[in-house]
Amino acid sequence: MASMSEPKIWETFLRRPSDLQEGVEIPLALRDLNPGRKKYQIRHVVAIVSRKADRLPGMDRLQVRTTVGVLLPEPWHIKIVRDLPIEVPGQPYRDFFESLRTAANANID
Amino acid sequence: MFNDTREFIEALRLSGDLLQIDEEVSWDLELGAISRLACEKDGPALLFRRITDYIEDVSVFVNPMATWRRVATAFGLSPSSSIKEIYREYEKREGRLIPPVTVNQGPCKEVVQLGSKVDLFDLPAPMLHEGDGGRYLGTWDLVVSCDLETQWVNWGMYRFMIYDSTHLTGFPRPTSHLGKVFKDYYEPRGKPMPIAIVIGADPLSHFAASATYQLGGDEASFAGGLRGAPVELVRCETSDLLVPAHSEIVIEGEVLPDRVGLEGPYGEYPGYRTGEMGNGILFRALAITHRQNPIFTVDATGYKDDSSTITAMSGALAIKRRLERHGVPVIDVYMPPEGAVHMVVIAVEFGGKEIARKILNTLTSRRALISKILMVDGDVELFDMGQVLHAFSTKCHPAHGVHVVHYENRANTLTPCYSQAERAAQSGATMLFDCTWPGEWSREWEVPVKATFDTIFGESVRRKVLDRWRSYGFNE
Repeated sequence: MASMSEPKIWETFLRRPSDLQEGVEIPLALRDLNPGRKKYQIRHVVAIVSRKADRLPGMDRLQVRTTVGVLLPEPWHIKIVRDLPIEVPGQPYRDFFESLRTAANANID
Repeated sequence: MFNDTREFIEALRLSGDLLQIDEEVSWDLELGAISRLACEKDGPALLFRRITDYIEDVSVFVNPMATWRRVATAFGLSPSSSIKEIYREYEKREGRLIPPVTVNQGPCKEVVQLGSKVDLFDLPAPMLHEGDGGRYLGTWDLVVSCDLETQWVNWGMYRFMIYDSTHLTGFPRPTSHLGKVFKDYYEPRGKPMPIAIVIGADPLSHFAASATYQLGGDEASFAGGLRGAPVELVRCETSDLLVPAHSEIVIEGEVLPDRVGLEGPYGEYPGYRTGEMGNGILFRALAITHRQNPIFTVDATGYKDDSSTITAMSGALAIKRRLERHGVPVIDVYMPPEGAVHMVVIAVEFGGKEIARKILNTLTSRRALISKILMVDGDVELFDMGQVLHAFSTKCHPAHGVHVVHYENRANTLTPCYSQAERAAQSGATMLFDCTWPGEWSREWEVPVKATFDTIFGESVRRKVLDRWRSYGFNE
């Protein structure tokens, strides 16, 4: 049986490499890679990410895919700070990532 | 004519066009990989009976009409019918409309889940390709929506990605009928748009939903005409929309006018996973109704998927009708399956620069899904791509025979050769290759004589050779 403290595996899709900034809180859409019926469920979060595991205690593993779905070879590490709503305010057919950033900032205010 | 997916499956089983897989198969990539390879090999439709995590609940039926044999079967023709015969049969039926009838109850209501009972993860939506944005349903669906301004009810085939237990994201292109009604009516008013995602209706209803059909057209009556019998419709639980009563699964809900989610990327019908991502719509599910032990339907999208037959054929005939209306001397139109609904061959009585421009303008004025057009003379057998390639190679002048039109806000955002920036701006181009002889060339003095048996020998020589063919020693 898996331990409660066992790290989870998440995956995210990025438009460009610079969208992952280390050490600062950033909004992300994560999908859950843990097996079962609900695998690939999406979650919107504000998180801190790091290339090195030892920088973030209690972190999970983060896989990164590009805009065409290519998996980057180096995994990242992630600590989820807080959740954002699954229904993100924004305009359909416009940039989701911009709406997610706005939602994250509004959440701080 | 088939009333539901189950009858169609049994017909395919009888004709040898179905493989039932009783071994347990995972919805997570394994099912997608099997289905993709089967599609690329022109293999049979697949019925998966045991899906990991869903063993007792549901079956999955994949690639319903990805070969011409299965399209012919859906139309009630012999499976061995030629592509040309299927085109002609569709052409006969396409103008015939038989309105649907409304019934009070139907098999799709055998199980009704509302409110907190709704869980989209109860459906075995497969992860079809490694690296897709998520698990997709709606690859073989029929989405019902209504333009409240005109009361026009639209059926379309649109993909949706499972987001969480009650949300889907989707990418009906902004130029699609659903996208246009949403953007023109619901979004400006801040109103959620009710839709019903129907999975596993009868095959020709799905054909009608995926077909290129005119804006404002009634696909339910169109489906009835194709079937030769009305489609029975039943009212949704949470809206006034009507759905085919014999469907396997119906997901009811609404597209939100002011909320968004991440959609894509996804390996689509052009045969690529392009970079469209995060520019779609968000759907909130309100109800799921289904038959007992429902059959979940899937198109394993990619190279030579179901669109290569049915979308291509309906698109070709729709193009023929539009060109006729715009005064183009069109003889026939064919969209080869390998062209991924991006290339069309148009035979004309006569070509030239003016006709080329007219074709380009007609086919790119509202939305431009086709990016390559070959215009050929009437003596080319369109359904023989060898002949088409020969005409293109020999008759298209490399300097004067190529015509290009550029456009903004209406390009096909799934066209792989467009850059991310072009895709975001929906900007693109369509080129036409004029493979006809110039009209000003004299037939007697200038037009080259085609060096084939039928064209370069006189009647008497041909007759003599054909009469003596076997005596020369040929078997056929």
